[in-house]
Order: sequence, then structure tokens, then C-alpha cells
Amino acid sequence: MNNDKIRKLSGFVTLKVTGSGGERFINALIREGISVWNIARLEKEVLSMQVLVRDHAQIRDVATEYLIHVEILDRSGLPAFLQRVKSQWGFIIGIILGLGLLYFLSNIIWHVEIRGASPELEYKLMKQLRELGVYEGGLKFLVDDPQALQKTLTSLNEEITWIGVENDGTAFFFQVVEKERPEVEGPEPPRHLVAKKEAVIVDYFVEKGEPVISINQFVKPGQILVSGLIGQEDAPEVVSAKGKVWGKTWYKSEAQVKMKAKTERLSGNKYEKRFLQIGSLRIPIAGMTFADYNNKEVNEVIQRLKILDWQLPLAFVEQTVYELETVELKYTEDEARKLAIEIAQKDVLKDLSTDAKIVNHKILHERMENDTFKISILFDVVEDIAVEQMIR
Amino acid sequence: MPISLSRKFQQWVSAKLDLPEDVIMDIPRITMIGHLHLYIENHSGLLSFSPEEIRVLLKHNHGQMIIKGKDFVIKTILPEELLLEGTIEMVKFIKE
Repeated sequence: MNNDKIRKLSGFVTLKVTGSGGERFINALIREGISVWNIARLEKEVLSMQVLVRDHAQIRDVATEYLIHVEILDRSGLPAFLQRVKSQWGFIIGIILGLGLLYFLSNIIWHVEIRGASPELEYKLMKQLRELGVYEGGLKFLVDDPQALQKTLTSLNEEITWIGVENDGTAFFFQVVEKERPEVEGPEPPRHLVAKKEAVIVDYFVEKGEPVISINQFVKPGQILVSGLIGQEDAPEVVSAKGKVWGKTWYKSEAQVKMKAKTERLSGNKYEKRFLQIGSLRIPIAGMTFADYNNKEVNEVIQRLKILDWQLPLAFVEQTVYELETVELKYTEDEARKLAIEIAQKDVLKDLSTDAKIVNHKILHERMENDTFKISILFDVVEDIAVEQMIR
Repeated sequence: MPISLSRKFQQWVSAKLDLPEDVIMDIPRITMIGHLHLYIENHSGLLSFSPEEIRVLLKHNHGQMIIKGKDFVIKTILPEELLLEGTIEMVKFIKE
């Protein structure tokens, strides 16, 4: 009702009207064009009614004329509300100040933490951060956003590879990754390079020292490849031999492959279940199904409920059940051979350094035995065969 | 009898032009919503009011109207309109 809104906005009062002839008084009021509402009789000669505040003076005049006593019982509407608010001004100011203080405090940086930095770098960073406005007691809204901060810090410090900036509420965390400086090597002790295994030299590269081998030479373990003694034979100079010697070595490996194999794989069918776990009791919540697989794999995600650091005996369990299907694999002889060679290759390389390379392979022997393909292979490998040996 | 003649004319107009009588003749129009509300148009003043009974004077010598019931409250009163709220039990007209 629009009328109602006008009344509330301009304010109205509840009057207690005492006197005989209340009806005539009301008739007189409405004749004057005064709006009156919610008239009720409280007692025999007492009425209550509501009128607009602005009509109050006029009502008083009419009341005197009709020998009626008027008394205000209650004030309502916006003006009265404002007046009430005014009387509680302190309280309102308190709330506003409180909210303001809370906002202000939550914008103060309470904690700055630098992780992963050496003490001197940490000190330097702290100093730079203070200039950027990041310090305990600083104001958060004066600080750039984390990305900009990260950029500034990275450009300011060359020794930093990466700095992670995280702003968690009123705390700032910096995760620093320092550049690793190559260690300054001290003077190397005098040494030879000797062969570690039987090999035929394929190639060599000598940085320091005197090579005493030639390509295609067969060497035995312990044989000197690069000598640390250079110069004249009677007055040799001792150096730390350095270099790489590539030698061809041989490895024999065996592998077997079953011609028929059974493996299990996911069929793609799955369903999800959810439980509420109380202690060790599980109550299913969702995903009630009667579908069950003969062969299945169950993946469980348990979310434990925590209050601060206190572990509740409650947990949500999300289970995903996957169906497994059995697949029978059958190989032809060619496939089996290929697979066996691969297996054997991996077997050989796993014990060697990463720069070792298989250059050739020769099948020594292969046979079929009880549905199993067995093979033995000789691999030619080129690898660095040099190891250091001190000169005493 | 000029009044009677004009009344007759009004009745004739109302009948011929198919107009509602309350529009032409200021006859009180009363609307009730169940027994909860009673809305009177064309009244000419309150005669008596108590929680159990209300008397209203009607215009143009249409007499008085007495409404009886319980818990009466006058929700709105304007020079020609009145909205009564409460439990209405009885509505009665008195011709003077």
C-alpha cells in the first residue's frame, strides 16, 4: 500500500483519546481532512488511533473544541526511528569504529617470512622489502600485488633464480631459490686416466695429459689411457689428466617373453560411492548401486574433518570403483623377438652411465620353450671407459 | 415533491442506461471480505463505535447501518469511506 509508505516516511503517532463523544470527534477530524486509521476502543471512553505527526497540532485544536483529552502513546515511522537512532549515537559510532578498526587491522602486515634464502640474502631481501612497504606493521594496501613484487625482487637480485610471493591474509611468504654458483675447484691432484673395463678404443678427447692409446687399440682394465706424466721421460711434469675415452665394450644379456600373456586393464566402466565414516563405521551416502564387478580396482579418497588441528573421528570417503578386464595377449615370433630385444637393451643400459650408447646387437641364441621365447643377445656398447687414478 | 421526482428520474436513468445505482444515486456500497473485512462507501459519519458494535450514518436518508461482531478496529476512515476489520457477525440496516 502506497499510503502506508507515506505514513511511515512522514512519521505517525498513536494517540490515546479520552472523553465522551469519541465518534463525533472522529467525524470532525475526517471532515477537516485529517487522515485517521487503526481506530480501536480501549475502554468505554478511551479510543486509540493513529494519525500523521504533521496533523497533530490540528488534532489538538479539534480536541479542545470537543472537550477531549489527547495523549501520545507511541511514535513510529522514519522520523521517530531517526530520533531513536540519535539517542543511541554512541553505540552506532562504536560499531562503525569497530568495523573500521577490524578493517584496518586486517590490512596490516603481521608476518613476513622468507624461506630458502641464505642469511645474508635474507637480510638483503628484508631491507629491500622494507623499502617496498612489506614489513611487519606495514599497510597491505600500500604494497604492490604479489606478481609485481615478484618481478621487482627478481630484477633487484641477480642471485635469485626464482622467488615465490604468497600473500596469505595478513602474512607474506617468500620462497627463494638461489642460483647455484659453481663450486670453485681447488687444484686437482695429479692423476692418470685408466680403463675400467675391457674395450676397443673408438675415439678419445684429451684435455690434459698425454694419450698413450690409439684408436682400435684393445685395452684391459687398469691399463693407462691418458698419462699424467708429460714432458721428457727423465724429468716428467705431473698433471691431472682429464679427458674422455670412448671404448667399445660388449655385454651379453638374456631375455624371455611369454607368447601368451594375461594382463588386466581398466574397461572404462566405473561407479562412484560416497561414505560418511564415523570411527571405523561406514555409512553410504551416495552412489548406492548393485552393480558389482568380478574384478575391480578401488580408488579411495578420504577427507578427514578437522577443527583447527583437532582431528574429528569423522571422514568423508569417496570411492571410485573401476572394472578390470582380463586381456589375453598373443605374440607372433617376430613380435616376441622385438620385445625381447627391447627388454634386453633396457636391462643392459640400466647399469651404464647415461651417455652410453648401444651401437649394435647380435643374437647369439634363441629358442622356444613351453610357450616362452628365450633369447640371448650380445650388445656392442660405446661408452666412456676412463676412470681416474692417482699418481703416487 | 421535488425530491421524489428527482429520485424517480435517477432510478429511470439507472434502469435505462444500465448503470449501477450506487454511482448515480449515492447509495451506500458495502463490500465484505468473508467475515474479516467490511468496506463501506458513501457513509456520512460514525455514530457509535465499540469493539462489538459499530453504527454508521448513511448518506441521503438511507438510514443507519449497524454491524455487530468482535474485535472491531477501524482500519481507515475517510469522509466517504470506512474500512472495518474484525469478526463480523451481523449487518443490519435501519431505515429512519
